[in-house]
Amino acid sequence: MTPGKRDFRALIVAAGLAALFVVLFLHLEAQWAIALLALGLVLGLYFAVRAGLLARVQAAASHHPRAAIAINTIAGIAIIAVLREEHFALLMLATVCLFVTVCLGLTIQFGYAGIVNFSGIAFFGIGAYTTAVLTAHSAIPHLLIIIVSGLVSGLIGSLLILPMLRTRGHYAALVTIAFGILFRTFLEVNDTLGGPQGLKVEGMRILGWSLNDNISLGPLGTVSFYASYAMLALFVAAAAFTLIKRLERSWIGLNLDAVRTDETAAASFGIDVPRWKIFAFTAGNCLAGVAGAIYAMMSGYIAPASFNFGDSLLLVSIVLLGGSGSALGVLPAALLVVVLPEKLQIIQEYRLLLFAVLVILILRFRPDGLLPRTMREYLPGWGRK
Amino acid sequence: MDFGLVAQYLLNGIVLGVIYSMVAAGFTLFFGVLNVIKFSHGDVVMAGAFTALAAFAGLELLDAGVGMFAALIITVAGIVAMATLGAVLARMLILPLRNAPPLNTLLITLMFGLALRESVRLFYPNGSNPKPFPQLLPDLSMTFGNLALRLDSVLLIIVGLGAIVGVHLLIQRTRIGLAVRAVAQDPETARIMGINFERVVLLTFALGSGLAALAGITNGLYYSEVNFGMGLLLGVIGFSAAVVGGLGSIYGAIIGGFLFAGLQTIGAVWFAVPAYKDVFAFGCIIVLMAWKPTGLLAERSSERV
Amino acid sequence: MSAPTLDVTGLTVRFGGLVALNSFDFALRSEELVGLIGPNGSGKTTFFNALTGIYPPASGRVTLGNDDITGLQPQRIYDAGITRTFQRLRLALSLSVFDNLMIGNHRNLYHGIKGNLFGRKRLRQQVEENVESSRRLLEQFSAPLATRLFDSVFQLPMIDRRRVEVCRALISSPQILLLDEPSAGMTHEETRALMDDLLASRERMPGLAIILIEHEMGVIERVSDRCVVLNYGQKIAEGSYRDVSGDHKVRAAYLGED
Repeated sequence: MTPGKRDFRALIVAAGLAALFVVLFLHLEAQWAIALLALGLVLGLYFAVRAGLLARVQAAASHHPRAAIAINTIAGIAIIAVLREEHFALLMLATVCLFVTVCLGLTIQFGYAGIVNFSGIAFFGIGAYTTAVLTAHSAIPHLLIIIVSGLVSGLIGSLLILPMLRTRGHYAALVTIAFGILFRTFLEVNDTLGGPQGLKVEGMRILGWSLNDNISLGPLGTVSFYASYAMLALFVAAAAFTLIKRLERSWIGLNLDAVRTDETAAASFGIDVPRWKIFAFTAGNCLAGVAGAIYAMMSGYIAPASFNFGDSLLLVSIVLLGGSGSALGVLPAALLVVVLPEKLQIIQEYRLLLFAVLVILILRFRPDGLLPRTMREYLPGWGRK
Repeated sequence: MDFGLVAQYLLNGIVLGVIYSMVAAGFTLFFGVLNVIKFSHGDVVMAGAFTALAAFAGLELLDAGVGMFAALIITVAGIVAMATLGAVLARMLILPLRNAPPLNTLLITLMFGLALRESVRLFYPNGSNPKPFPQLLPDLSMTFGNLALRLDSVLLIIVGLGAIVGVHLLIQRTRIGLAVRAVAQDPETARIMGINFERVVLLTFALGSGLAALAGITNGLYYSEVNFGMGLLLGVIGFSAAVVGGLGSIYGAIIGGFLFAGLQTIGAVWFAVPAYKDVFAFGCIIVLMAWKPTGLLAERSSERV
Repeated sequence: MSAPTLDVTGLTVRFGGLVALNSFDFALRSEELVGLIGPNGSGKTTFFNALTGIYPPASGRVTLGNDDITGLQPQRIYDAGITRTFQRLRLALSLSVFDNLMIGNHRNLYHGIKGNLFGRKRLRQQVEENVESSRRLLEQFSAPLATRLFDSVFQLPMIDRRRVEVCRALISSPQILLLDEPSAGMTHEETRALMDDLLASRERMPGLAIILIEHEMGVIERVSDRCVVLNYGQKIAEGSYRDVSGDHKVRAAYLGED
């Protein structure tokens, strides 16, 4: 077999296994099966990293980026096709994809540029509320509203970062924590934005077609309307992923890493530290805003209670669990953190406690996370030179 | 606005200022010795109040749950428990991460705070609801015109200020305090001079956490109510106060604490919706930090090139 | 003799009440190697930091060629052609050797968002060119190191980390290189090898002037064209190593006499 064929085989096997896992994880109901799958995922990834299997797949993907995208898109569509009639499973799949998008944004901020953001859920919320207001009070096409919501999040974020630029590490953390808490307080007391009851949001329509209608396939059954949202969310997450990988493998990604590792050294070599911090923070918040916009349309209703400070910490947990700066790591981490508490009723109530302890253990004993970030590869097939 | 009302606002502001200063003093102590920010500090404040509440439940079983004596017992219980917790936290989570990026320390303590908060919510009997805090201080008040000066408020102010001054004297005037200052100045040299670095760190964390417990109990006695989420805001306020005052300086913590309380009071007078007072106060803090990034009393420079 | 490239007059740096550098005058010609010596805390590194824009100078004037570069931001100083190493290495340990060198080559790279994220033709071309030039530069210092271009700096021994830091400062072909105690943490032999390689690679970089802060007098004696001695932020002597080392004020400063 030629190396090229071996690459394709590795990619197809990996994508197939991942898709199979996601389907089982979302479809199965038995508590023991879910627990077993979660444990299997963590152990499986651990040994795949140890045995170098994952490195092989990553090398294959890096050598054939287009093929990797195509194969994984097919796998994603296949997941949706298999689960087409299950409302709950599709809703969760879409939620995972949206959280992946937000956490990829946090990866640009924290993983690359080293800016902590403890108000991730607030920027998600800004996107959601912008969408709620715009769908109710304007005739802007819904696809455009998603983009505008992302831009509004980014813009508000870039105002917030101005005081953060003059300060370092801890102070910046304080600013985002204060903002995250204030955002929720502000929503609760602001009557125009619905107060504690929140706002209703119209479902999404693209060219007159409503995503909130189930699709009838005649004798083949009915496709849940959540399948449309899952597809949209999957597409957005995939686009974000591609963009972030490209960002990482460019001089811009290098600039961000330089800012994170040593601001003084970075500035001494001509890197405009404030500029790249603003860029990273704004780009990350735009992604959070876009995800929030789709979330609002999908759930049809948003309220301050969905945008707690604790949820921001959950987002940070996802990034750290996956491995700081590891875009690939965000995927299994988001899957675990979002789906596990929903499916395992025993832990639903304890989820914040559980993830808090988990992050403490990760930071203490495995600070690189589930899938540690690998060396930067600027060009396809870089590792084989 | 009449004099009585102004005085009432002023008194309320002073009690808040004392509470915030106590929390801020903890942040300043930890930053002083170890250059770390312990974000679980607010939740230690909350846990201190809940420990006192549990101690009170114990006293009630013994039919001793009344009066100043009970107040003293539960305060000591809260302080001792949190001081121990602070030292354990420093030993288990903070010292091992000394050489990791500072953000990791920040995250691990933030997550520890979340774990503490969730533990109280889940495991304290009926912990997810606000709990009434016993009124143990004498219910006396003096009236001047239409100002009712409550004795318990005065008592809380005296005890709180006394505690901060006590900690300050401990740091400035005693041998132990000298060791703390030596470590704060230069850990390596202090170690060479035979100072037990780890013991100093543990002591500082115990001290700061004990102060946090006192702040939590003061808060409980003043508002007659505690809840599992109270630490989050108190912690952020305490940290803001410490930063605005200038991290590493106890005076800074006091200035910052009273400044924040003052801003909140102004906000409360200004806006009809009470919740906006926090939005206003934090807004001012963010602006202040943009203006003076290292605080009103400048923090010592930590960057070596 | 060529005109001075770098001209410093009356440069003063204050920290609160402390005068860390007091009215310092200094001139550097192209292709010159000047040793900057003095006891600990005498203001050597402070001079580098003031020159590179990390500390704002209280007064004084710095010109490079015909440009006034006093008090510019570090980025602008780098763009003007002054690069440096740090006393305590400031490399990005988690990144590869190549990444670290490319941080040093910032001004020759393309940073537009469009071409970095989309299209990427230019990026590919720059990456390929820079891989070659990085390899060539590293080879002048150590052939084995040049084969480890894509390993993380974390995996390298001290001597190689120093080499990477020096190469990071050299790769953008600066006019002036500031070396802050390159011998720190290395053995005599390692320092000697590094200096020899540096002198050899200087042959290939016409016009490059170097200011070297060093505690090992053997190194200064061997490589410097001229020496400047600082004590308590003040210049106390200047001249050839032999003149300076015989100066009684310099001896007093080092032996701690008045």
